Amino acid sequence: MTKLMLVLAAALAFAGCSQRSTLTDGRFVVGFDADFPPYGFKDGSEYKGFDLDLARAVCAKKGWTFVANPINWDAKDMELNSGAIDCIWNGFTMQGREAGYTWTAAYIDNSQVVLVKKGSPIKALKDLAGKTVGVQADTPVQKALSKGGDKYETLGKTFKGLVVVPNYNQAVNELNAGAVDAVAMDVGVAKKKMADLPGKFELLGEIVMTETYGIGFKKGNVALKDLVEAELKALFADGTAAALAAKYGIEPKSLILK
Amino acid sequence: MVWDLLGGLAVSVEIFVFTLLLALPLGFVVALGRLSRNRLLAATLRVYISVVRGTPLMLQIMFVYFAPYILFKLPLSHYPRFLATVLAFALNYAAYFAEIYRGGILSIDRGQHEAAAALGFTKGQTFFRIVLPQVVKRVIPAVGNEVITLVKDTSLAFTIAVTEMFTIAKQLSSANTTMAPLVAAGVFYYLFNFLVAWSMERLEKHYAYYE
Repeated sequence: MTKLMLVLAAALAFAGCSQRSTLTDGRFVVGFDADFPPYGFKDGSEYKGFDLDLARAVCAKKGWTFVANPINWDAKDMELNSGAIDCIWNGFTMQGREAGYTWTAAYIDNSQVVLVKKGSPIKALKDLAGKTVGVQADTPVQKALSKGGDKYETLGKTFKGLVVVPNYNQAVNELNAGAVDAVAMDVGVAKKKMADLPGKFELLGEIVMTETYGIGFKKGNVALKDLVEAELKALFADGTAAALAAKYGIEPKSLILK
Repeated sequence: MVWDLLGGLAVSVEIFVFTLLLALPLGFVVALGRLSRNRLLAATLRVYISVVRGTPLMLQIMFVYFAPYILFKLPLSHYPRFLATVLAFALNYAAYFAEIYRGGILSIDRGQHEAAAALGFTKGQTFFRIVLPQVVKRVIPAVGNEVITLVKDTSLAFTIAVTEMFTIAKQLSSANTTMAPLVAAGVFYYLFNFLVAWSMERLEKHYAYYE
């Protein structure tokens, strides 16, 4: 029964489908994590953000139909490899994932910062010893703090515990509620959270690590990557990216695409 | 915010309705097959029920959506996520409904079959005229339990990126750093289930014609 229905579903679904190495049907499907403001988030009935607005601008230039497809972050590789989405474009950190995707050049320099409650006794990374620290699941900083044998793992070992949560919103809620003492997170998202809840949080002066964002395409899909990268460079050259950065509260110096 | 949530609720309701439309009858067919004298059919369905009940629905949803790619390397660019969601939910809930129906059918006293045979009823007549009406009455509370669970399970559809109400609530919560959308979603789920429970109660009363 199960098999029969699967075969039926497959037959239904694949009547007239196409390989998406380039866009034969003119739809550019951007997979993103909608829990990641200011890069991609729900704003009224639309999905907006620095990354999604850039993607929209690229589509406008290429004459493609822009499709914002919020995905389950845990299934991103399956979404990309199966062709359900064309790229992952949403504060997507390259470090530690270099070999898994066909990447554009890095366009954002992102620091992993530590967010704590205002007035917290934690003032520097060494004060995190014996504290509980929240991180988002499947992020490079989570990996770095829990394995690798370098200084990041050494730092992670000083914590009382590393709490892995599904998204930064929950991490910040936990910080607010006192369930964790600090959250290691992307600086752009941290700034957005501080703006949303003014006077509640502060950032440590020290950062954990720096990393860069790129747009990830299915491994080997160089043709589509090249098309998007060329347009992205144009958007950075003509000031569109800088204007979007200002709109979404992203520091101008973090724009690194030349 | 409320309008966005209601948009998500519409998706949840669609999953709910289509799943029930498929799973309620499919469960009945599976229950009959499970009780049939054809050993191969009964054994196959036993395995189906065992696998479906023994693995997480979240995994089944992923499997139904990604199986064409994983098994046959077919690209998924035109495979509707909603279709995959409803198929996965229907296959899952049909297994549970089948067991509820089977329990209902077996709960009818053997003596009734004998009495019907003595009165000259055929097997088919006995089943449809005597057994089935009693089964319907007996399974309503158990089916009601599953139906209410289904309302809440619709949030699993986001496993394959179908943005139903709970996902919208989470996104709004992230975008504005507030818990309010989650609380509002909870209220909507409760109202939805209140309506479902009330309907099930009405149905139960409707069939309580001998009491």
